[in-house]
Amino acid sequence: MKNNLKKCNQCQLPETYETIEFDNKGGCNICSSTKFKNTEIDWKSRKKLLNELIEENRGKYNYDCIIPFSGGKDSVFTLNYLIKEYKIKPLVVRFNHGFIRKTIQDNVHTTLKKLGVDFIDFTPNWKIVKKVMLEAFKRKTDFCWHCHTGIYSYPIRVALMYKVPLIFYGEAMAEFSNYYDYKTHTIEKEDEEKFLMLRTLGITAEDMHGMINKADDPVDIRDLYPYTFPDAEDLKKLKYNPVCLGSYIPWDHHKNTEQIKKELGWKNDELEGVPSEINPHGEKIECFMQGTRDYIKFLKRGYSRVSQINSFNVRNNRMTPAEAKEMNEKFDGRKPPSLEVFLEYVGLSEEEFNQFVDKTVIPPNKPNYKLDKIAKKTWDFDDWYREDNNKK
Amino acid sequence: MLKKRIIPVLLLQEGRMVKGKNFKDYVDTGNPISQVKIYTAQYTDELMFIDIQASLNSRKTLLNIISSSAKESHMPFSVGGGIKSLTDIREILAAGADKVLINTSAFENRDFIKQAVKKFGSQAIILGIDYKYDDTINQNRVWTHSATKQTIAEPFELSQIYEDLNVGEIMLNSIDRDGMMKGYDIDLAKKVSKTIKIPVILCGGGGNFDHLVDVFNKTEVAATACGSLFHFGDNSPMRARSHLKNQGILMRSIR
Amino acid sequence: MIGIIDYGLGNLSSVLNAFKRITTEVEVFSDPKKTKIYSKLVLPGVGSFKSGMDLLKNKNWVPEIKSYVTTGKPLLGICLGMQLLFSKGEEDGVSEGLDLISGNVTKMKVDKNLKLPHVGWNNLIIKKKHPLFENIKEGIDFYFVHSYICIPHEKEDIQAEVFYGDNFVSCVAKKNVFGAQFHPEKSMPSGMILLKNFIEWKFEC
Repeated sequence: MKNNLKKCNQCQLPETYETIEFDNKGGCNICSSTKFKNTEIDWKSRKKLLNELIEENRGKYNYDCIIPFSGGKDSVFTLNYLIKEYKIKPLVVRFNHGFIRKTIQDNVHTTLKKLGVDFIDFTPNWKIVKKVMLEAFKRKTDFCWHCHTGIYSYPIRVALMYKVPLIFYGEAMAEFSNYYDYKTHTIEKEDEEKFLMLRTLGITAEDMHGMINKADDPVDIRDLYPYTFPDAEDLKKLKYNPVCLGSYIPWDHHKNTEQIKKELGWKNDELEGVPSEINPHGEKIECFMQGTRDYIKFLKRGYSRVSQINSFNVRNNRMTPAEAKEMNEKFDGRKPPSLEVFLEYVGLSEEEFNQFVDKTVIPPNKPNYKLDKIAKKTWDFDDWYREDNNKK
Repeated sequence: MLKKRIIPVLLLQEGRMVKGKNFKDYVDTGNPISQVKIYTAQYTDELMFIDIQASLNSRKTLLNIISSSAKESHMPFSVGGGIKSLTDIREILAAGADKVLINTSAFENRDFIKQAVKKFGSQAIILGIDYKYDDTINQNRVWTHSATKQTIAEPFELSQIYEDLNVGEIMLNSIDRDGMMKGYDIDLAKKVSKTIKIPVILCGGGGNFDHLVDVFNKTEVAATACGSLFHFGDNSPMRARSHLKNQGILMRSIR
Repeated sequence: MIGIIDYGLGNLSSVLNAFKRITTEVEVFSDPKKTKIYSKLVLPGVGSFKSGMDLLKNKNWVPEIKSYVTTGKPLLGICLGMQLLFSKGEEDGVSEGLDLISGNVTKMKVDKNLKLPHVGWNNLIIKKKHPLFENIKEGIDFYFVHSYICIPHEKEDIQAEVFYGDNFVSCVAKKNVFGAQFHPEKSMPSGMILLKNFIEWKFEC
């Protein structure tokens, strides 16, 4: 079903991609920002800033820095880079969203053992996760609320607990959106403004509590703490500094992954709905709900993971726009086997699922709910946690 | 050139934000302070609070919310809900709001509005017109008291009367379309925005970005007020601006 | 210490809060006799020219402000505050202004299909390189809300314009005095840059 969405004539991302803006030559603001990154930023002086930042923090606190970690290519690269380049003593922190796949878990073990670091792993209450997944899905058709809010607030909470001001996240948003732009010449931070701007999807933990706390099914406000950004005053006292490594060194997915494969034996994995040839650098292999997440995106916005991966390829001159266009049309948008798992968790039927999605479709996209292109099951599908929550 | 504005509307009830359909069946949409923080982080064009309870207690809560919001945030705020006297207006502006939205009291007492404009300036006063289509007479009729009392007034005619009171803006709100997310009332909006000389804010029915594009392409409306669009859609003001810019609508640039 | 003049008109908390985000050295004051102690002054205001000048006159602000300006210390006028800097205003009858910048304040004349007040976001057309414009890119929008505009007699006082059917003056400056028709305290994030520039502005006589 052809949608005739207007697309960037370079990266091929469509008008329904959040924050994309087309210029009068048919290109887009994200391509323009990446071009700036590759040609105008003085990465040597950024590296100097990074050197200074590390030295300012070295040895002064319980740890030199906090490194939020998932085991995916970005956080493994970040950890590996900082340890090899600077020999720092980090505290590695994982907010476990509950959908970790086996290969990633093996990658986590291998990485931590090979590098030798202290590691904290936090998994929030699954019953609460199910509640907030459903609520976020109903209002925004984005069920990853707990993950976004947890990943971008929990490690900062740990920073407060251990009194460690410096926090290193990895990739900058400027790499793939225009919420932030390389052209502003700033160091991107995972601060409260960014958290509120885009991590919360417009719903804070306090909002969520009021939405899910019912008289006949009450929810303790403390159950929402894992998704709450820490208090501004406390953070000010700590002088917290949650930077993105991607503002100090030029981010390159392919090079980053090659490095961790080589140095740590990091393993790639299948990605539901994406042909393996398209994903050699291991995008999004951490979470077994990824296929469903990408499917919802395809229904709402008319593009999905293949298009997103290829947009990076075009911007980094690994693919021509024509090649990306062809590949996107051929491979993008697959109905995932993981959908039935999601529906089980939240107790919805597929019809109800479609009705919710339909309310939030981004115009001018027109979804096809009878997509006959089905993604292959990944090898670990049968290992994923199942619940007896089936609604037929 | 002057840009078009998108104004999220936050309805306040029992200290929480709510949203309903046709002015009823309200659902919780969050904590007012955190919602202001979110809209601030999004560099929203403007924000509008409406206290739908309009009681003594709810007024106290509203004033607290406005003071906190004014500290957290630095965008223009309008506030409405049971504003009846010059003291009400003074309190609300002193708490940190920039404009007030007056609905029922404007309908009942034109002199009050004249005094308010004189005292606080026209830029501080927005007059609201809530209306519903009456299919027994095939005409729109203005409703007051939070859509509980029908009047014999017609919204287009009333907008012309209000224009002569020298207020800053007029807000048209379709009760039929409220919360339905099926689009705005383009017909009336076109008529009013073309005729009157003061800016018009249009409310009621916004469900997706194309509805906003429609309003700005087909009418001379200056701003769209949105509730459900942001509460029940995967939308945000930043995304809205990008989408509208791509459709050729002039929107605010932040950077 | 920066002093924000409270002459009884308009709401000062937004201006105060915006400055407070950048510095602690700022306060609101309502005693004209204290004017001279401040290192910089801010004259805010919303409402009509006449009501603004009546309040300034009744509370004896006029001579204090005029004498302050002769010392060379900076003064920032915002919205109505900018209009009051001028010689004469026509809103609500003709009244005399502070006459710190020569010129008149008159009703905006726009095309019949353009609405008044001019309210919303509009971008500056920068005409001069002024310290207050440092790091502010062209094309960024600021929040305007007014129906009257300033027409300076000396065209070189015009620092920036704004387009609304025609070009109107949006910023003026004369030596240590600067006026902004828009609300920098409501125009984040660029408004904050302008306020920061004002705080750092070292005016050389």
